[in-house]
Amino acid sequence: MFVKKLFYFFSIFLASLFYACQSKQPQEKQINSVTVTDDLGRKVKIPANPKRIMALAPSATEMLYAVADEKTIIGRTQNCDFPEKVKKKPVVNNYPMDYEQLVLLKPDLIFTVEGITPAEVAAKLERDLHIPVYYQKYEKVQDIFKGLTNIGKILGREERAKQVVDSLKNELAQIQPVKTSNAKPQVLAITWNDPIYVYGQNTLFTDKLRFLGAENAVKEVFAQSYPALTREYILKLNPDIIIGAEPEKMETTFFKQYPELKKVKAYQQKKIFKATDDLMARPSPRVVASIKELKNFIK
Amino acid sequence: MINRRILYFSFALLLLVGLITLGLKVGSFKADFYQLKAALFAYNPDDQVHFAIVQLRLPRLLLALLVGGSLAFSGYLMQAMVNNALADPFILGTASGASLGASLSISGVLATTWGSFYLPPIFALAGAFGVTLIVIALGYRKGQIIPAQMLLAGIAVGSLLTAMVSLFTFLSDSESAVRSILFWSMGDFGRANWNLLPYPTVALALALLLFLFLQKELNILLLGAERAGTLGVRVARTRWIILATVSVATGFSVALAGSVGFVGLIVPHVTRSIFGLTYKWNLFLCTLIGGGFMVGCDILSRLLYPPAGLPIGIITSFFGVPFFVYLLLKKSYKFN
Repeated sequence: MFVKKLFYFFSIFLASLFYACQSKQPQEKQINSVTVTDDLGRKVKIPANPKRIMALAPSATEMLYAVADEKTIIGRTQNCDFPEKVKKKPVVNNYPMDYEQLVLLKPDLIFTVEGITPAEVAAKLERDLHIPVYYQKYEKVQDIFKGLTNIGKILGREERAKQVVDSLKNELAQIQPVKTSNAKPQVLAITWNDPIYVYGQNTLFTDKLRFLGAENAVKEVFAQSYPALTREYILKLNPDIIIGAEPEKMETTFFKQYPELKKVKAYQQKKIFKATDDLMARPSPRVVASIKELKNFIK
Repeated sequence: MINRRILYFSFALLLLVGLITLGLKVGSFKADFYQLKAALFAYNPDDQVHFAIVQLRLPRLLLALLVGGSLAFSGYLMQAMVNNALADPFILGTASGASLGASLSISGVLATTWGSFYLPPIFALAGAFGVTLIVIALGYRKGQIIPAQMLLAGIAVGSLLTAMVSLFTFLSDSESAVRSILFWSMGDFGRANWNLLPYPTVALALALLLFLFLQKELNILLLGAERAGTLGVRVARTRWIILATVSVATGFSVALAGSVGFVGLIVPHVTRSIFGLTYKWNLFLCTLIGGGFMVGCDILSRLLYPPAGLPIGIITSFFGVPFFVYLLLKKSYKFN
């Protein structure tokens, strides 16, 4: 008798569960959607008028803040900290991806950057959570302007995007390349001491230096964007300028650990500088600010 | 038999000299043999190529030689001590202890620098010794080391520590820190310099000297503890000496170069399969072959993925394991 009753309740429970899952479907179809191609060449079906957006990368969050209506930005990752007011938005952990928090926040479109969100995560977001993921990819400074314009188009805020891009371009145009009598200054940017990792040729850093009449000391293109180098390789590069930590800190860590590297020009001529980490690392609208900062080191 | 051994030995020595010469040539600066000779015999510190050869390439090669030698040496001792073909120097937990110490320091859980002192190698050394002591304590019963129990304790503690390293790797939000920990757990000779070399050199030299006198005991130990006991070997004492030596030799190796796998397992077998199970000079030959193998692997790693090279453990496994399998199949080799 008890078993029969239990079975009865269980089937009702199952049926209602099934119905609940089913009833969700029709709602989604009512939203007007358009299909766009993102920077990775993926076809993404996105809402025609996204109202709840967020980004899964700190740089992408900065991009959204530059163009989007702030009220439509509904969350941030644990690493997003710029602009300051983003810190008030609810946090979605992006590593490991907190899918439940996304279900709770219900974004209708997610922006992210190549290399930050694995394809597997994007696939799960689109397939299981029905949240479209739009990837952006930045190799050149120009790509950031293009990225801002694209975000403007997607969000129906072309005007705002154009304003932002025009003002950034103006600012950039006013930066004069450093005039040197000799060859272009060779800059090496170090991100880690052991092993020594640096900004490779195929990073945004290389393009930023172009606007300043300087060059990335690393010419060779490695499989990794941030390759590990040996001391010998750096001796051979013999950079004019090193960007890493504060000079005093470099003296007590990097050059203490690798005294052989005191031979390079940058050390001999005391051209060792600390750049703001986020400006260096994030492909964001602050790219012009980053170039301006780099100019202080190169002049 | 003697002649063949001498032939093999000369061949190994020649190969080592060749490898070292090649190793001194590989690098970012191009160097011909003339420059190589000049750098070694008429060193001019203002010449960039000389500087790179003497200050960067030579210590790196020597570190590889010492680490390979120490690990192979320790592996040989461990296999004799626990009388098990699967033993290697890391069964004492040295590798995982060192990795944990280094990764705690790299990921910032413990300090990375103290004043101007770079701490990961120090923590690695502390981790190696600390964990070795724990494993020995767990393998110890009634005043005796029980090899089987110690082996199991080593595996258990090792797995726990590996899990902890994975945890800190996972929690680290810096991609560079993750790669740095990976280099540590797979071995890297990139931080070699002359100041560091005396430690592993002295450790290995003293260890070799010590076992010059214990050679006979070591071979008898291969017959099993009971028979060794009846043949007059003081088994307990020999085991303690082996443990102390192995922990010092591997401790310095992993602290300076991370934990390079397979060398300590494979090279002792290779040595025994070439020179016989109980040849008098096996321990020395094993050290030599281990060192040479490591130098070869380091050169290969730098040639395959210049300039910094692949983590060395990848190379040792890729090229060591097939060769090992070949030897196992080809030779009528039996461990005991």
